[in-house]
Amino acid sequence: MKIAILGAGPGGYVAAIKAAQLGAEVTIIESTEVGGTCLNWGCIPTKTLLASAEVYAKTKELDSFGIDMSGSISPNMQKILERKNKVISTQVKGIRGLFKSWGVTLKEGRGTFISPGEIKVQMKDAPEETVTADAFIIATGSRPAQIPAFPFDGKNIISSTEALELKEIPKSLLIVGAGVIGCEFACIYSELGSEVTIVELMPRAVSTEDEAVSKLLEKELKKKKVKLITEIKVEKVEVKDDGVHVFLSNGKELVAEKVLVSIGRAFNTNGIGLENAGVSMGPRKEIPVNEKLQTNVPHIYAIGDVTGGILLAHIASKQGIIAAENIMGADKKFDSSVVPAAIFTSPEIGSVGLREHQAKEKGLDYKTGEFQFRALGKAHAMGEISGFIKIIAEKSSDKILGAHIIGPHASDLIHEFAVAMHGGLKVKDIAETIHAHPTLSEGLMEAAEDVHGAAIHMPKK
Amino acid sequence: MNPEDLKYHKEHTWVKVSGKKATVGITDYAQDALGDIVYIDLPEPETAVEANSELAEIESTKATSSVISPVSGTVIEVNENLSESPEIINEEPYGKGWVAVLEIEDAAELDELMDSTDYEKYVEEEAK
Repeated sequence: MKIAILGAGPGGYVAAIKAAQLGAEVTIIESTEVGGTCLNWGCIPTKTLLASAEVYAKTKELDSFGIDMSGSISPNMQKILERKNKVISTQVKGIRGLFKSWGVTLKEGRGTFISPGEIKVQMKDAPEETVTADAFIIATGSRPAQIPAFPFDGKNIISSTEALELKEIPKSLLIVGAGVIGCEFACIYSELGSEVTIVELMPRAVSTEDEAVSKLLEKELKKKKVKLITEIKVEKVEVKDDGVHVFLSNGKELVAEKVLVSIGRAFNTNGIGLENAGVSMGPRKEIPVNEKLQTNVPHIYAIGDVTGGILLAHIASKQGIIAAENIMGADKKFDSSVVPAAIFTSPEIGSVGLREHQAKEKGLDYKTGEFQFRALGKAHAMGEISGFIKIIAEKSSDKILGAHIIGPHASDLIHEFAVAMHGGLKVKDIAETIHAHPTLSEGLMEAAEDVHGAAIHMPKK
Repeated sequence: MNPEDLKYHKEHTWVKVSGKKATVGITDYAQDALGDIVYIDLPEPETAVEANSELAEIESTKATSSVISPVSGTVIEVNENLSESPEIINEEPYGKGWVAVLEIEDAAELDELMDSTDYEKYVEEEAK
């Protein structure tokens, strides 16, 4: 079986390795860099910058940890970017090494379907080549959405991609959109010293999360002196001599050194020859797929962001595995019922399953349990006491419908709930499992106990 | 020990009225129960607040709790010093640790509140 994969991001590269493991002859085509948006302009670089910002933030608390300091500490953007680039290149090498080890052929160039069975590759530093295969996986991903109201110039009006390459920390940064990307950058640049303002159309920050999580994040942003303006639309953005002028729907005008627009992402379906392959697109220019991840052309599969579902690297990776398995003869379906998600604000957010308002809308008979990190000895020892763990469970069955964590290491902690939900476990199972002391995980056990009104480290209600 | 010229709410807040202006804070009992206060989320000026609803949110090392407004009104001033030094509330709950000043609408609401003697009795009951 010959498989060609278009795009070597977290969807495509995982699909390539899986397919090779299953015995396929695999060619993967990448126009920019292996690892895709996730590794080069997304997940990994933002976390690297955030790590620098958090180290710097900690230095403001040295006294409270009993560390005396003499001299001054300041972030050096050039070195921060060097560190980021080093982290990326290590990971890129890792993926290239895996390709080599599993015998995956990497073609570096822009791939375009010229027929349902052939892709022409415009190689970076070699002549054109044609790749033929029995099955294809389209994993071309997405890019920051651009709309005419925000004339990106890559310098003053920027997207997340340029926000990862700023040579200097902007004195002021206005972010359009308080979604995941907007809030992550708000935390990074406010910790590094920028004066940050976020303008959001929806009534709350990270509006796809549980309302209680949004509320706490908004308070934490306020602590960082990030100004959040909600239910306001940005009408127009103009670059002038004294900075970027932002005109709001309430008639106000704000000025900032840079404006970061994070209002969503567009699907990479242009210029890849879908018409030559006979693959049809949906209304948002996404590629619709069935549960087995096939497009309307059965031997052409599509995975990840480009399919227009939830834009998460780990969904793309899982879909990559399923598509590879299906091509190799399996009959698997992509199940999106348990998808944990992480937001790397400070503090972090981890979520899985239903939000409380969704449980309410569905008319479910549910109960909740909540536990504050500040009631844990470990959180105090770490000096990170803000945040909570919240569980939403079905009353009759005691099964976990959703869980939400905002606080230290929330992105890691959430997986205990994801495993429990995947295995159909009950709240009782988490409550009755011994959790090691002193850990943040104890808070998960206590939140589970609180669902039954039996948390130990909480006052009587 | 609770000043006699203040009125007290059962959610452990106090109010001092002078004309239409009402200064609000939390009581000594409240600050002691909360422990070390690490942050207060102050309301924005011009926010309208109902009596018995949340005026501000206090975080201590032990708990997060609401500051319940003893009166209805519009926030005309907040104690900005608390943003940088919330521990002032622990140190001087009835003085420099005030939370906000409201312009009150209905002075009759004050009649619902306790005086210092009643509040002390109330706290003794709560402590039992």
